[in-house]
Amino acid sequence: MWDSGFSEERLHPRAFAAAAVLLLVAVVLQVSVVARLGAPLGRPDLVLVLLAVVALIEGPLLGAVLGFAVGLLADLLSSHVIGQTALVLCLVGYLTGLVMNAAERSIAVPLAAVGAAAALGTLGNAAATALLGDAALTSGQALLRALAAGIYGLLVTPFLFPLALAAARRLHRERGRL
Amino acid sequence: MGRDTRRSRLVIAVLLVLAFTLITVDYRTGDSATGVRGALHSVVGGVENAVTTVTRPIGRTVSSLTHPNRYHDRADRLAEENATLRRSIADDAEIDRLAGELSALRLLADKGQYTIVPARVIAVGDVTGMDWTVTINAGRRDGLAVDKVVVNTAGLVGTVASVTDQTAVIKLICDPTSRIGARLETTQLLGAVAGGQGPKNLTFTLYDASYQVKEGDRLVTFGSLDYVAGVPIGEVTKVVDVGGLSRTAEVRPFVSIGTLDLVGVIVGGPPGDPGDRVLPPREVPPAGGTQPPADAPASTAPAGTAPAGQDAAGGQQQAGQQGAGQQGAGQPSQGRNQAGTGASTQGAG
Repeated sequence: MWDSGFSEERLHPRAFAAAAVLLLVAVVLQVSVVARLGAPLGRPDLVLVLLAVVALIEGPLLGAVLGFAVGLLADLLSSHVIGQTALVLCLVGYLTGLVMNAAERSIAVPLAAVGAAAALGTLGNAAATALLGDAALTSGQALLRALAAGIYGLLVTPFLFPLALAAARRLHRERGRL
Repeated sequence: MGRDTRRSRLVIAVLLVLAFTLITVDYRTGDSATGVRGALHSVVGGVENAVTTVTRPIGRTVSSLTHPNRYHDRADRLAEENATLRRSIADDAEIDRLAGELSALRLLADKGQYTIVPARVIAVGDVTGMDWTVTINAGRRDGLAVDKVVVNTAGLVGTVASVTDQTAVIKLICDPTSRIGARLETTQLLGAVAGGQGPKNLTFTLYDASYQVKEGDRLVTFGSLDYVAGVPIGEVTKVVDVGGLSRTAEVRPFVSIGTLDLVGVIVGGPPGDPGDRVLPPREVPPAGGTQPPADAPASTAPAGTAPAGQDAAGGQQQAGQQGAGQQGAGQPSQGRNQAGTGASTQGAG
């Protein structure tokens, strides 16, 4: 059972590149546009939502690697300890990827997975900041923000997930033809 | 599809070890990757600046296009024309607002004789939203340096944490590591204002325990080698600790952290301390508003800061003493008058 589906376990360079570019754009949009919107409750987390969607479609391996890379970039662009966001996003990408098979069966699974990834990822980031540096938020504020991130994740998924799924199918088909 | 194979477990294990190594190295050595961080900041800062320039007008346009009528060509045309007009009005309003903010900033800088560099916020926080920082579109090229004080029209925003050629990262006053020397209005008593309680709350510690901090007292920066003096910080909303060797109070900052846009970086200060003149004049409480607490000891209040001018933030205590205040109505109304004349003379000067 360990080596079943070894061929699907490879990192598809094309899917990886596309997802990486998408997440890079999300990183800039997150700080320059989304964080300034002043959305009620908290703020949507574009990066966590996109990472969860990509991991759901492409699997845990790509999710973990991509999460690590984007987290590292986010760390380098921030003022906190390097590696903490990489750790959190790597775990989020991996764990979300684990339910990829269930996601093909029902629409409720991606909804729950993305919502949970956004909420738990936000909590994870808050916890990492509190453990490794100075707590940026009180626990109440962190919980509220996690809740908001989860709700916004739930709201966005019905639009984002089918779109990403179609894009991924197209990408893989093209690769198959080549 | 293979979901959880040996290979993917190996990869995640390697990545986790790598993450922990990075955390350990960075945690132990402090600024280990300043070079990489600086280079990345200048690249991404440029992109952020471009994105903000593009998205600002789009946001305005979207808000001005409301319910276009799709039934007739004529209606379409009129709606389009209407939208164009609305857009230009929105542009005018935006320009007016910006001009107003700039002149208010100029006024504040003149009052304190500060030399400021105006800049706009191009990014808020970091990706995870756990950093209390903003990025602005002015940098070393505009004369900024680390530790310079940043203000907006309301008061103190924060200090410059890091700077690249064209952008700078501002550490906000509510950051948990932020600690700024503060002075109580009309006194020379030194304390410190620290963050870590969220964007609407600061913690003020007064080092002199003999002085009674009161609600409504206002704070300005104390000033030191790096920090200019006299910048308004906030107003005491609640006295927390009344015993011990120091006094602690909650402070509401004058600046609204959530809506920062135009800021000014103070790159040069006056030769002397500007004192309290940068603070806005006290508001005159409206007639029939909350009475000041009747038991406010006149002896501890320095001359000039009569208990008038306390706003509604006073809380339940005041409500309880309302009756007492109305019985001896002579004194509070006198206090109001004093505050009134004080405000008017400051406004004229």
